[in-house]
Amino acid sequence: MITGRIPRISFWRTVVAIIFAGGIYSMYARFALGLKAATHLTDPQPWGLWVGLGTLCGVGLSAGGFAIAASVYLLGLDRYRPILRTAVLISFLGYCTVCVGMLYELGIPWRIWHPIIMWNRHSVLFEVSWCVMLYTTVLALEFSPALIEKLPWAKPRELYLRWHHSILIALVLIGTLLSSMHQSFLGGLYLITKGRLDPLWYTPYLTTMFYLSAIPAGLALTIMAIYLCVRSLNVRVDMRLLSDVSQVIGPLLAIWGVFRFVDIINRDALAYLWMWREETALFWLEIFLLVIAPLFLLNMRKVKQNPQYLYGTCALIVMGFMTNRLNVSITALQASSGIYYVPKWTEFAASLATITAAVVAFHYAVRYLDILPKNSPTKKWIAASAPARA
Amino acid sequence: MASTKAILVDITKCIGCRSCEQACKQIHGFPSDTEAKLSPTALTVIEERGDKFVRRMCMHCQDPACASACLVGALKKSAAGPVTYDGSKCIGCRYCLVACPFSVPRYEWAKLVPYVKKCDMCSERQLKGQLPACVEACPVQASTSGTRDDLLEEAQRRIFADSKYVRHIYGSDEAGGTSVFFISDVPFEKLGFVTPPKQALPLLTASALGDGPTVILVGGALLSGLYWITQRRALVALAEAREKSAKERS
Repeated sequence: MITGRIPRISFWRTVVAIIFAGGIYSMYARFALGLKAATHLTDPQPWGLWVGLGTLCGVGLSAGGFAIAASVYLLGLDRYRPILRTAVLISFLGYCTVCVGMLYELGIPWRIWHPIIMWNRHSVLFEVSWCVMLYTTVLALEFSPALIEKLPWAKPRELYLRWHHSILIALVLIGTLLSSMHQSFLGGLYLITKGRLDPLWYTPYLTTMFYLSAIPAGLALTIMAIYLCVRSLNVRVDMRLLSDVSQVIGPLLAIWGVFRFVDIINRDALAYLWMWREETALFWLEIFLLVIAPLFLLNMRKVKQNPQYLYGTCALIVMGFMTNRLNVSITALQASSGIYYVPKWTEFAASLATITAAVVAFHYAVRYLDILPKNSPTKKWIAASAPARA
Repeated sequence: MASTKAILVDITKCIGCRSCEQACKQIHGFPSDTEAKLSPTALTVIEERGDKFVRRMCMHCQDPACASACLVGALKKSAAGPVTYDGSKCIGCRYCLVACPFSVPRYEWAKLVPYVKKCDMCSERQLKGQLPACVEACPVQASTSGTRDDLLEEAQRRIFADSKYVRHIYGSDEAGGTSVFFISDVPFEKLGFVTPPKQALPLLTASALGDGPTVILVGGALLSGLYWITQRRALVALAEAREKSAKERS
């Protein structure tokens, strides 16, 4: 039937189409007209939304994959196995958006391979670029069985899966180390801005700060994605698993919050907490979204038991995390740069289109690959008594 | 480093004729219009601050933040003193612009193949024994060039010989020391000079990068250990289960 081939026009399809239309224009603006036409970046503000959102948030929010993989394979927390593939897939797609985002962000994108042969071991960015390259490869390998197992040829398929099984632990171990390094080094990028980065954010422990906040944020994004899968893709997940993950997020956020305040007290930056200025307001927004509100909400029985409330709480955490990264990369440098940077609409549109592409890819992967166990058409959440199996 | 090249700018002597600007534009083939701020076509400019003329240009740090930041090593502190830029390596990440404590590097935002632009102290001319174009053009010797040590000595002599000078050589310890020095009779902060940290900025990232190998070694050992425990537990559980079922059968 011909009508079966024409995609139905639905609300979300329309939204995605509009986002992609904006994305295509931004692509044209960036690559055919140049950075000046596509962005509001200037010499005093050389890094903007594409670094703050695309790179810092993109990498940070993709931390769920290594955290869950390490828990399952290295710590032996086998009960998280059902959500492992989802977490790895999110991370892999997250790093893909980072790599695509880099092509927009770099002035001369076709030289993106230069760091492979041109080395500067003193550069934090050099370490970051290598870790991201290697870890994206690790994630591709970690995720590959989900595709390979769909191959119709039994022999190469089994051969690959056996080989994959033999290197899996090594992959997870390397992935954990690589992640730990570059998650922190992303914060390390800003160590060199001493004297210009606002005292509420500049600390010699920027590396630790970035690492500690990335794990809970990555887990929160994983919970959000799984909730959406259950809600609209008809898959089966034990709610208690998500609840368990959220109970790990709480303490991690608390550790980050305490560390953040002890650091501020140590650096005698307390006075900045009560100043009447934009930086301070955005600092409190970050603390409220990333520490105060989640810690309060995660301890509520309602949130622990209701997937929808849990989803909302995780959304707050993700927003808080994004506020933190954008604060470091944009807010905290505003005063010293002397100009007020507001991203151009094409910057938003390009980022949004890249993220949407990843979401669409995620949607189809969950639908057509064995990422999460599929449900029988009626039940949504399985009863709390029956534990989920991968 | 005794023979590294440097430039000394005496703000008390500058008459604001902009000969340095023009000379710079000429040897780079830039359009000759005067510009108010540093730009990709103005690698040095004279900024008017009250009745003073302040020259802006790359400070050519002894241990440059930009060179340590550049992931492909396009920016380098040359043995002769100037901080040079090799455009053929540059990927356009602009971390150098973020890293520079003096906000000097400019980017060709309007171009489709953009590069970083900054003063290189006429590195090639200096290798041939010529003066930097700006210094050569200065009619009143407000800008002079020479070896770093000689210029520091000369600057010191001037600021102690005449009480009108501020008793500080800007560049002697800023960002760990630079190869461009300024002396002035008006406090530097009133002339728009920034006050960067006194230490060489690459040291700030070096300590973090130094943690890398430790993270790999300690983290790797820790994770392997955890994995071993996990494995061992699984084996013990399996053995126990087997024993139990064997007993039940017998």
